[in-house]
Parts: sequence; structure tokens; C-alpha cells
Amino acid sequence: MSSVSDTDESKSRLERIAGYLLDATVLERIGIAVGATAFALLIGLVIVALAGYDPFRFATQLVVGAFGSERAIARTLRFSTLFVLAGLAVAVAFRAGVFNIGVQGQFVVGGIACVMSIIWTAPYLPTGTVGGVLLIGIGVVNAIVFGGLYGALPGALKAYAGANEIITTIMLNFIAIGVVGWLVNGPFRGEEATSVRTEQLPDYVAFPQVVFSDPNFSVVGFGIAVLSVIGVAFVLTRTRYGYDMVTSGYQATAARFSGVDSKQTIVATMTLSGMIAGLTGAVFAIMIQGSYTDPAGIGNYGFDGIAVSLLAANNPIGVVPAGILFGGLESAGSHIQIRSDVPVQLINGIIGLVVLFVAVPELFRMIGARMGLGGDDR
Amino acid sequence: MSDDGLLQQRWVRLGASAAVVLVVLGAVGSMMFGWDLERLLTVGFVNRSLQMATPITLAAIGGLYAEKSGVFNIGLEGFMIIGAISTAGVLFALGGTTPSQGDIWIAMVAAVLVSLVLTAIFAVLLIDYQADQIVAGLAVWFIGLGFAPFVASLVWGSRNSPGLASIDNVTVPGLSEIPWIGPVVFDQSPLVLLTLVLVIASWVFLYRTRYGYWVQAAGENPKALDTAGVNVTRVRYATVLFSGAMAGFGGAVLLAHAGNFVGTGDTMVNGRGWIAIVAYLFGNYNPLGAAAAAVLFGGLDMLQVQFQTAGIDVPSRLVNLFPYVIVIVVLSVWGKTRMPSAVGESYDQEE
Amino acid sequence: MSTDNSTAVRLDGITKRFGDVVANDDVTFTLEEGTIHALLGENGSGKTTLMSVLYGLYQPTDGTIVVDGEEQSFASPRDAMAAGVGMIHQHFQLIEPMTVLQNVVLGHEPTKNGLVDEEAAREEITQISDRYGFDVARHLDTPVRDLDVGVQQRIEIVKSLYRGADVLILDEPTAVLTPQEVDALMEVMDDLRADGHSLIFITHKLDEALSAADQITVLRDGEAVGSVDSAETDERGLARMMVGREVLFDRLEREGEPGDPVLTASDLRVSGDRGVEQVADVDLTVREGEIFGIAGVQGNGQTELIEAITGLRSIDDGTIEFGGRDATEMSRRERIESGIAYVPEDRQKEGLVQEYDLVRNALLGNQTIEPFVDGALVDWPFVADHAESIVEEYDVQPPTTTSEASSLSGGNQQKFIVGREIERDPDLMVASHPTRGVDIGAIEFIHNRLIELRDRGVATLLVSSKLEEVRKLADRVAVMYEGEFVDIVDPGGVTEEEFGLLMTGHGVDEEVDPGPDLGIEDEEVTE
Repeated sequence: MSSVSDTDESKSRLERIAGYLLDATVLERIGIAVGATAFALLIGLVIVALAGYDPFRFATQLVVGAFGSERAIARTLRFSTLFVLAGLAVAVAFRAGVFNIGVQGQFVVGGIACVMSIIWTAPYLPTGTVGGVLLIGIGVVNAIVFGGLYGALPGALKAYAGANEIITTIMLNFIAIGVVGWLVNGPFRGEEATSVRTEQLPDYVAFPQVVFSDPNFSVVGFGIAVLSVIGVAFVLTRTRYGYDMVTSGYQATAARFSGVDSKQTIVATMTLSGMIAGLTGAVFAIMIQGSYTDPAGIGNYGFDGIAVSLLAANNPIGVVPAGILFGGLESAGSHIQIRSDVPVQLINGIIGLVVLFVAVPELFRMIGARMGLGGDDR
Repeated sequence: MSDDGLLQQRWVRLGASAAVVLVVLGAVGSMMFGWDLERLLTVGFVNRSLQMATPITLAAIGGLYAEKSGVFNIGLEGFMIIGAISTAGVLFALGGTTPSQGDIWIAMVAAVLVSLVLTAIFAVLLIDYQADQIVAGLAVWFIGLGFAPFVASLVWGSRNSPGLASIDNVTVPGLSEIPWIGPVVFDQSPLVLLTLVLVIASWVFLYRTRYGYWVQAAGENPKALDTAGVNVTRVRYATVLFSGAMAGFGGAVLLAHAGNFVGTGDTMVNGRGWIAIVAYLFGNYNPLGAAAAAVLFGGLDMLQVQFQTAGIDVPSRLVNLFPYVIVIVVLSVWGKTRMPSAVGESYDQEE
Repeated sequence: MSTDNSTAVRLDGITKRFGDVVANDDVTFTLEEGTIHALLGENGSGKTTLMSVLYGLYQPTDGTIVVDGEEQSFASPRDAMAAGVGMIHQHFQLIEPMTVLQNVVLGHEPTKNGLVDEEAAREEITQISDRYGFDVARHLDTPVRDLDVGVQQRIEIVKSLYRGADVLILDEPTAVLTPQEVDALMEVMDDLRADGHSLIFITHKLDEALSAADQITVLRDGEAVGSVDSAETDERGLARMMVGREVLFDRLEREGEPGDPVLTASDLRVSGDRGVEQVADVDLTVREGEIFGIAGVQGNGQTELIEAITGLRSIDDGTIEFGGRDATEMSRRERIESGIAYVPEDRQKEGLVQEYDLVRNALLGNQTIEPFVDGALVDWPFVADHAESIVEEYDVQPPTTTSEASSLSGGNQQKFIVGREIERDPDLMVASHPTRGVDIGAIEFIHNRLIELRDRGVATLLVSSKLEEVRKLADRVAVMYEGEFVDIVDPGGVTEEEFGLLMTGHGVDEEVDPGPDLGIEDEEVTE
């Protein structure tokens, strides 16, 4: 251990952290994220105006719909919970240089695994709070395991068969949605279900309502997301496994030099990413749905997770503000759908634009340099 | 032809794998479920498969040109969606719900132009501003997934369009009466025939013209091409523009065959752009191979209809997944397609 | 072509600086028309830089270029080509999956009806090929990647001729060839000269320069030492010009004797990336307190041998024993943990993560070693202090650990890597080209550290293409040629020329070039 005294050590550590935070690259990344979002929103408003609506009213509704009331905030946090978790799943993989586009599929597989494991084991366990906690535990573990396996598959195919993970994971998304869609409409369909869905989860299987009373949101869910972020950030920055993964993402040749087995790392990364995606599915199923419906119609959380992660420059901590921002957009979308004629799909288009602009940091460096905003450190 | 040996191997493999898949399916089906194979393999099936393969082929050819020149255009799916919605929109503007055949052609040309303009922006970001090719390509997909239903909602008040019009077959009287060949060749969608022409033309262009040489060189060793006095950036601009236009055209063809726009779920394109990428990988970056692979995928896609008409009870939802499963198998078994060596690297002229 | 001695190329006072490094210092060079002019010098003496200036790849900091009596300023190779200058690079500019014909005509394709006129191209290429007796014509439809290196090189030459080059620059053309292919190349060069072309032949091999060239210019440390007629000199004279004299007495006398074997490799066979055998049946032993040098022209299997020993490349056959244990099956990580340090050949790609700061780079390779990690947890304060001490002890500039590796100069990057690897307290240090592209001060520094390491009893395996480095540091030197050790010698007892001969494979079992004989041990070449 280091011979430096404790106070000295903590001081130098503080200085170091401050150094990181003030790091030009971190500031630059934040600048790019803000620029990309602002630019995309601006284009969105122009489109609203061109489509013949009032852009100012639209902008107001965006803000009101996202943060204007307690209900809006709860709704925003509901979406944010999923975006943060899905974004985290993507960020883990992208950090390690593996393009897991399959978070959506792993999310669906995790979700159905969670619901079915709870439904099948519920008869054997006591009802009430104890049973609820146990069942949630069982559901979450199953979601994580199955999500992880569904992520490990394309990881193994990439590592040992050379199959491009971008394409295999996209195909696996279609497959997961198709198979689960068939299951919930056939073998897994609830006996009393009037629509296409599984049986309902027992009502004691739910997160407690604290602070907000929204049937589809619990602070516990958001807490799980934040804890996952902290856990992943810890693994990536403080453990040697995280170092191996991140180094592989930055520079595979150097990772190999340092003794990293690249194939194992790919599989491990995809598994971890899939596990988080599975957890996302569990939170979605327990907190929001209470059963499982046809995944073709449950929202593209896995894809939006890509946008969240990219906006956060694949930084696990950055996923939190990015997820909240996207949660706000989505929440505002729900609001706008009711309160205005502007088609809500615009929000998805704007998210696409955010991703596009995030892909082009050079553009914002140039704009920054033109505007005299410290473009000179490059 | 540079890849003769390799190509032949691939053709053999492609044909063999397709044959194996079909034989196994047929055998299992007829023995276990008593399928009537004659009712499965019909002229209608061949025609539907070809029509299904057409959009995939067009996008695949565009994509392989871009990748051959060193730019991975992962946005094919997005450009297909853009092509489809543009066609539907223009078609509706021209003739409401009863447009004429001429309107369909005009709408498709307009869709290609729209795709071209958007691809031009994409190309600038990719080539001049060195955007991350994968992220930017995904963004195009997201943009398509968002804005296409948005436009549909603006125009029709719903994510889907009402029935517009689909393109009529070109029928040659007399010749179309020939059994088998007649209905496939002489009573066929003009777009299928046009695609066939484009496939052959793009093969000739790539392997027999100087520009084709440059495309290949730009993706393999841009420096060698640069020292030979050819502007690498210009070559790459041309191929990326071509890829966007072809994908947009693919989307337009998809719409012209279907006759209405579907914007729910992953829209009516529903992964065909991604399958196009696999098609050209499977076809080893050769337009003919890519087209053959697309026909295979198109056939798989149409099996479901076939099963239904033959009265075979297989859940359509699962049969629909067939092409996706095959894609994964294909990639895993032939995963190590040799990519052009300079794909993904931006090329800096001044060295 | 005229036979009078008019000048084809004249480089006058060329200076080329890269930042602080002077690659060419006021070099003047004249190529007479219809002659072969060898540019001789060791690796890093500035030969390739000088020719890159002539070929338009670099713009000179100072000086003028005159081609065919006209002063030229080449902004790019295209301009140089237009003026009739062609260059055959060490790394061929060929498009591997495309055919020979396509490669040759690329950018200058004859067309007919919009299509490439293959017949016309075929005819013209065959004509060129036949004139110089190349056997290129029969390969016209073969993809380049299926052809031998020797044929590929001829394709490069044909390409230059097809584009109308009068002046041909051949950059180390023999480095990648077998002896038979070298002979064939020499004939080709003769034919080209006879046909009126002017050739510049870059090499560091004395015998080749002597036998092929009319004129020889020697470069050393970026300066032109002198130009001589090849008829008026011999290998000894050239070696003296190339090496200078001061280096030879630079050998450091060692104290103490080497101890027990640390690393023993037996019957090692290793394949390269393309599956071709690159290391053929090598045996080597490195002992405690000994620096074992491997000399040789690059690309003779050194890289593959080193990667096999450090665990980065699997071997086809043979055994590796390290510290008394069988290490043949050990993974890279196990080898690091058991005490093998490695200064890699490519510091940019392997030795450092460019976007990491020096703290995070200090952990590279130490991820599983206490006290850097405690179980799964990284002890970052300890790593940071460690990085700090490397920066301090190994004089890394600027002396901050928070700067990104990519912001450091090559020499400072290398000092950091050397520091990190030495501080791993290894039993075996594998150093691959530890001073390549590093400034003089850092070279001296790194050499001293390696010697200190030796004196502490560490076994060191040193690969370098710089002969003087191996001679200075190593106790024993193996000379590698075509995947084999030609000989293992005491560097103090062998002259530079003898090394040069060994490095070209002479002295194995064949009696090539009886000219300068080897029986000159008693004759000191130096003072």
C-alpha cells in the first residue's frame, strides 16, 4: 500500500477527481451532447412550424409535459427509469467496443422470463409482502439470467464464429419479438385475458408506492436504475475486469498486450450488457405492465437506450442525465398526444437526430471553434 | 474477374445451403404433417418471392457499392423507410387514393430524389466530418422510424396510409401463356424486371469499367488509388450517394408492390435493410451473389403465405422469423467474409 | 536515350525536419541518366525520407529538386509521376484482391465503349513485361494476393513503367526477397538501365550496393557522408562510411558472469499472420544477467519469435521453458504474472492506450498483479503513485501523469513503457526495438537502464535492427535470417562487415560471394 498519509492521499485523490471533471475532453463531450440535443430540438421545432403548427406552443407543451406537474414528473421518471437502465446496458457494451444493438431483444426476453417465472412459482409461495418480495426476487433473477444468456449468444457468435454482432443482435431482436409475441398469444396467453397478454401478476407483486402515487411508477424502480448505474460505474472504473473491458474498447491491441483474452472479454461484455437489459425488462414488467403483452407494441426502449448511451458518450454516469432528458421527451410526447394535434412520432424523429449529431463531434468542434469556445485545445 | 475461384465456392455454398434448407423443410413437412409440396411450390410463390427479393436486392447493391469503396452504410434500413414514405406521400399528393400507374412511376422517381438529398447530407457528415459510420447509420434508421410515421400521421391522421395503388404487371400476350416461364417472365412486375437489369448493369460497372476499379481500390487501399491520381473522396461520395438512392428506390419498390404505407412497429420495411446487408455479405460483395441471396431471403419471407394457401397450420408469426434465423446461421457459418480492408477508415488526402 | 552523362535528378541541399527531429540535413544527391545509384545507410539514416521528398510524399523544409533539368516542387506523388518519377515502396501499393492487370492500369485505364479495354491493356503490359523479361504477363488475371512477393514487386515496377516513369526509386527492394529473387531483381535492374532508365536503389546491404550500382551515396544520421564510384570501393570502405568509427569502441565491458538459464526455447516453429512459417526451428537460451541480442534485417521472423515468447502468438511446434517451468502452454497473462516483461515493437498500438492518461497506462499489464490490484479491485492511488514514480525516475516529459499518452513525444512514450516494464521487476525482459524512432538522449537513457537491469541479474532478450545497438548491449548475438539463426556470436569478436554478411544469410551452408572473405578476425577494422 501507499506510504502516503491518509489525509494526503484523500487530498490528492480529490484533486485528481477534480482534474478529471475539469478535463477538457469531459467538458467537450458535455458540450457536444448539449449541442446535439439543442440542434435536434431546434430542427424539430422548425418541422413543427413547417407542418403548420405553433412551435412556441409545442415547446411549452414539451416542458409542461415533462416537468409541469407531479404527475408529469412521475411519468418522466417512469420513462427515465427504463431509459437509464437500457442506456446503461448499451453503454457497457459500447464502452468495451462491442456494438450490442440487441438490448431490445434482451429486454423482451428478460421481461417475459420475469413474468412467467413469477406466475409459475406464485402458487407455491405465500401471498402478501413476503411472497411479493420473494417473487420479485425470483422474477428479477430470471430476467437477468435469461437476458444475459440472450446477450451471450451473439457475443459467442462474434468471438468464436466471427459473426458481426451488429447484424446478429438486430436479427435476434426480431426473433425475440416474434417468438414472445407468439408465446403471449398462444401457450402463455392468460386464460381470462381478453386481450393478447399473459396472466396478470399477483397484485402483491409490485414495487411500493413511495413519494409519488402513480400506478406505473415507483421510486424503487428508479432507485434500482441508479444503483445499477453506480454498480456498473464501480465495476468499470474500480475493478480489473472493468479495466480489461474498457481497455479492449479503446484499443484492442493494447488490451491483448496486457494479457486480456479478447474472445472471453467479448462474451463477458455481451453477457453483462444482456443482464442489465434483462433487468430493464423485469422493472418494465413489474413496475409498468403487471403482465406481458405483445412485445411488438411495448415501445423501443432498447433502441432508445442506444441513443441515451451515445448522448452520454457511453459513460455510465452520463447515462443518468441523458436518460432523464429522454424520459422527459417521451413523457412530453404522451402529454402532447392528448393535448395537441402534433403527431407524437416526431419525438422519435428528434431522438434520431440527436443520435445523428452525436455521431459527428467534428461538426460541433468546428462550430465551437467558430464561436470561439475553446476549440484551440485540439 | 478477380474473385472467380472464391465466387464459385460461394455460389456452390449458397445454392447448396438453399437446397438443403428447402429439401429438409419439404421432407419434414411432407412426412410429418402430410404437406402437399405441389401446392407449396407454385408459380405464385416464385413470383411473390421475386417481388419480395426486389427491394432487398436494390438496397443490397447500393450497400455493397458503398462498402466496396470503404464506407459502411449501415443506414440502408433508414433510407428504405424514407423511400417508402416518400413514394406513398407523393403518390397520395398526385392521385389521392386512386392514383394512376403513371403517378406511381413519378412518385418513385421523387422518392429516389428525396433519398438522394438526404444521403447527400449523410455523406457530408460521414466523409467530410468523419462521423462515426455505425452511429450515424443507426441514426438514419431512428430518423426513418420516427419521421416516416410522423409524416403518415400528418397526411393521413394515422401511422398507416389508406390503400393507394400498386403497380401492374407487364403482360406479354401469348408468351405469358407458356407454362412456368410465361407467368414468371412475361407476366411480371416491371420493377422486378428493372431490378434484374440493374443487377446486371451494376455487376458490369463494378468489374468492367474504370470507375468500378476505382470503387474497389478505394475500399482496399485508398493510398494506392490516390497515388494513381484518382480522388478517393470523390469516389466515396459517389458510392454513398448511390447506396442511399438505391435503398430509397428499394423502399419505393416495396411500396409500389404493397400499394399502401404501413408505419406501425418497425414500419413496412421491417428489417429488410438489415437483411440487405447480410445479402451482400453472403453474396461476397458481388451484385449477382447479393441478388441470389436476396431471392433466397425473399422466398423464406413468402413461405408463410405459401403455408397458408397450402392449408398447413404453422403459426405465421414464427414462420416470419425464418429469414432472421437464417441470417444468423449464415453469418455464423460464413461469418468471416473478407471485408474490404479500408472499410470504416476515413481517408486523409494530405499525407 | 542519350548516353551522355546528363543528370536525371539532382537534389540540392535537402533538409527535412519533423518537429525537432532532423531526418535529412543538407543532403545533396545526383542521379546521372541511365545509371543505378545506390543510397546506402543504416535503418533510420534518412534514406527513405530523402526519397519520399523526391517522390512528393513529403515537402522538403529546405533545398531544391531538379528533374530533367527543371526545378520541381512536388505537392503529391501525382506531380512526381507526371514528371516521370516512380517509386516502388517497401510496402507495395497494390490492391490485393484485384488482378495484376487491374492493378497495373489503375487510374490510367484504356477504355473502349465505356468499358475498360482489357485487350489494349493486356497488349501494352505484355509489351513492357516482355521487354524486360518479366514473367508478369502470364499472371495478368491472377489476384495480386495469390502471387509471391517477388512477382508483386515486379508488378510494382511494371506499374511505374506503364505510367511512364523514367526515374525509378526502389525502396529496400531486397528486404523482402529470397536470394534467388534478389538475383532476378538485379538482372531486371540491369535491363532497365540498359534501356535508358535511371534507378535509385535504397539498401543497407553493402554487397548489394556494390554489385548493383554504378554510384553509391552513403547516408548517416540524415547527412550524406559521401558519394563514391562502386568500382573504386569495397565493403570495408563502405562499412566505415556507413557506421563511422566512434560506435565500434562503444562496447561496454561487463562485470560478472551470466548465471543459470532463465528462458530456454527449443525447436520453435511459428507461423506469421498469413499462415506461412516465419520461425523455423529456433533454439535459444537466455541466462541470468545476460543480454541476448537478436540481429537481422527486419521481417526475418524476429517479430513472430518475440510474440511466441511473450505469449501473444501461438506456436506450431517446440517448447518454451521459463524459470524452470514449462511455459509452452501459458497464456499471455500467465507469462506476465510469472515475470516476463515486454517492451513491444509497436508502442503506439500495443505499449500504450493512446487515449488513457499515464496513470491508467501504468496499470496496463499489471491488472492481475498485487499490489496494483487487491482481489478484483484496482488500487488506483497506488497505481497513480507508481505512475508518478515512473515519470520521475525515467525522466518522462512533461512530468505529469494526467496527460494523455497520445500527447507525449515518441521518446517519452518509450521511456514510460520501458519504465513500466522494468518496474514490473521481471526475471526476463523482452525488448523489441526499444529505441526505434527515439531521440539520442532517450536512446542513451534506455540503454543505460537495460544495462542496469542486466547487472541486477535479469535476463534480457533484445531485438533490434540497429546493429550498433545490439553490438553495444548484447553479450551474445544471434543473427536471424529467414526464420533461422544463422549463427550465435560474441559481438566483440565480429566486425560490422561480418555482421552484415551474416545478416544476409551468408555463412550458413552456402558459399555466396567469395569476394570479401571472413578470415579477417585479426584485422581490426576500427582505428
